[in-house]
Amino acid sequence: MRANYRVNSGVRFEVLSKDQLQEMFDGVLHVMDKIGLDVHHDRAREILAGAGARVEGKRVQIPPHVVKRSLATAPRSFTIYARDGNPAHDIHIGPGRSHFGPGPTPPNFIDIETLERRPYVRDDARIVATVCDALPNIDFCESLGTISDVHTDLAASYEFATMFPKTSKPIVAWSYGWDDSNDIHQIAVAEAGGQEAFEKRPNYVHYCEPLSPLVSTFEAVDKVIFAAEHGVPVIFTTCALAGGTAPVTPAGIIIQTTAESFMGLVLSQTIRPGLPFFMGGVLSVMDMSAMILTYGAPELSLMMAGATELAHYCGIPLWQTGGCTDSKCLDEQASLEGSLSVFFSALSGGDLCHDVGYTESGMTGSILQTVMMDEAIGYSRRICRGIEVNEETLAVDVIQDVGPDGHYLYHDHTMRHFKTEFWYPNLCDRRNFEEWDADGQKPMRDRVVERTREIAATHEPSPVRPETEKAIAEIMEAAEERVKDKS
Amino acid sequence: MSEILQQITTAVMQGKKDEIAQIAQQAIDEGSGAEDILYKGLMPGMDYVSVEFKAGRVFVPEVMRSARAMLNVMEVIKPLMVEKGISMVGKVLLGTVKGDLHDIGKNLVGMMCEGAGFEVRNLGINVEPEKFVEAVKEFEPDIVGMSALLTTTMRSMGDTVKALEEAGVRDRVQIMIGGAPVSQAFADKIGVAYAPDAAAAADKAKELIANSR
Repeated sequence: MRANYRVNSGVRFEVLSKDQLQEMFDGVLHVMDKIGLDVHHDRAREILAGAGARVEGKRVQIPPHVVKRSLATAPRSFTIYARDGNPAHDIHIGPGRSHFGPGPTPPNFIDIETLERRPYVRDDARIVATVCDALPNIDFCESLGTISDVHTDLAASYEFATMFPKTSKPIVAWSYGWDDSNDIHQIAVAEAGGQEAFEKRPNYVHYCEPLSPLVSTFEAVDKVIFAAEHGVPVIFTTCALAGGTAPVTPAGIIIQTTAESFMGLVLSQTIRPGLPFFMGGVLSVMDMSAMILTYGAPELSLMMAGATELAHYCGIPLWQTGGCTDSKCLDEQASLEGSLSVFFSALSGGDLCHDVGYTESGMTGSILQTVMMDEAIGYSRRICRGIEVNEETLAVDVIQDVGPDGHYLYHDHTMRHFKTEFWYPNLCDRRNFEEWDADGQKPMRDRVVERTREIAATHEPSPVRPETEKAIAEIMEAAEERVKDKS
Repeated sequence: MSEILQQITTAVMQGKKDEIAQIAQQAIDEGSGAEDILYKGLMPGMDYVSVEFKAGRVFVPEVMRSARAMLNVMEVIKPLMVEKGISMVGKVLLGTVKGDLHDIGKNLVGMMCEGAGFEVRNLGINVEPEKFVEAVKEFEPDIVGMSALLTTTMRSMGDTVKALEEAGVRDRVQIMIGGAPVSQAFADKIGVAYAPDAAAAADKAKELIANSR
């Protein structure tokens, strides 16, 4: 045996020290206790008051011991299960594990046939789910758009109903409020085999988005209550703009968004202690000339890494952001911004990294971007696996075997490791010029489009149970009945 | 009989270099001819490996094992082939030219050519033009392959071609060249064939043989 021998598994990366994290955590507690947040939900305020919060009008102040109690009950490690029992599609949340997937709700989508930007339609949800199901480095599914060709109130219900049968990777569901949250949950429960079975093996995560600065909207809070009462793992994430709706400094925006997220934490843990909870959110800067929330800024990656470290310091997982871009098309900017943020996210070990496939600053979803980023994620994951050091990998005996002037191609050692030590690309072209030339000199973007179309046309996800098919039809029929008199 | 040939094909595909010689011996004992073992056993296996390699499903260390498996059988059946006058696809003489010590690219070409059914003689690195001339006279190859990694040593390729001409053996062989700085344009300039990588080199060698017969 060896004493005092330290092993680094993977690549080490750290933005903040323990002292800095404690100082930021103290800042969060101060904001919650002394400033408080506005909560636009009567029942939520009652629940929070019952937990020990001070309530005055809409303003809710939560003392440190209540926040710490909620942090103590929220789990750091848990599993989100594949609906079909395929263990390869389960997501194990825990230290050092990054998972990736698309994001919710852009109004537009890049059509994979015409490559033009147009409103997001229902069939796009099918394409996104099918492609995500097939991509080796995409772990969870979101729709990349808001469905425009169904009744407005049912966009989220149709989104889930369309995606659920087309991927067995866990879906992060988005909804407007209680009713459509319930549609979604009934579909998931039908496949799980009842509420009790669902609670044992939750197969989706619910996404709730409050407002910055420091406002918990009725809908966001209502959805947290729904999720907590039904045992659905929940994300409570703001989308703050540094310099606009949050302090301009990274430390300041991290403190504010953490406080915003912790409101959902305290509410959810009060209703159901132990419910899996993800801290948010999307932290980026307001571009002071373009006036947008930028999805390609270096500050996004840096602030998300800081937020990840704070979440992990507090013992809860984080809803990360990466693989996104401000570019309007699949080009060099999209590749640069997306790849770097994916790599940074992988390094930070953020638990669920979303928005892989966001383009045009979140205005347009592009599954093409997701497919390109799948490659960047694979690349990043190889680096993050680090360098293994042991007798087998040191290979001194192999070096002796081969000696000067020999080669390693034929050695058993090479044969044992060349598939696992090396990462092999799906899209990056490493062929010689002549082969690339003979194949039509295709640039990366053409290869991305080809691969996307091929997967969309050929991939067959594992189906839902026949009972679930029937349940989905009934649930959507009832949903249509519910909204038929609303414009 | 075809079952044992099938076993040889499978052993080549799986790179079972240690077991395959015994299978080949069994095939001979059961009455298989050398020609059948080569063309119905070994070659279909190597053809499969070659196709899979080009498709990116099989990798260099695996191709090397398959090629070695094939060579191990060739050792067993060579006496029979000589006896019956059966020849291999062709003979390839390889070397890295004078002044250049780079080895692995040329070795890959050798392996790929062996896999394609060629008999390969590898002269190694830093091979003087005169060495190439001697070997051409002695080994009588169909193809001479030259490799260089440096722009500074590329000119040795031209010197070697000249030496073969002066020795009067240039017309007995076809010449192909490769290596990072080498291009089709350079090959055209010195009047030889060019292949951009090891897999392409094996294809080029087959093409040169086909055109010459």
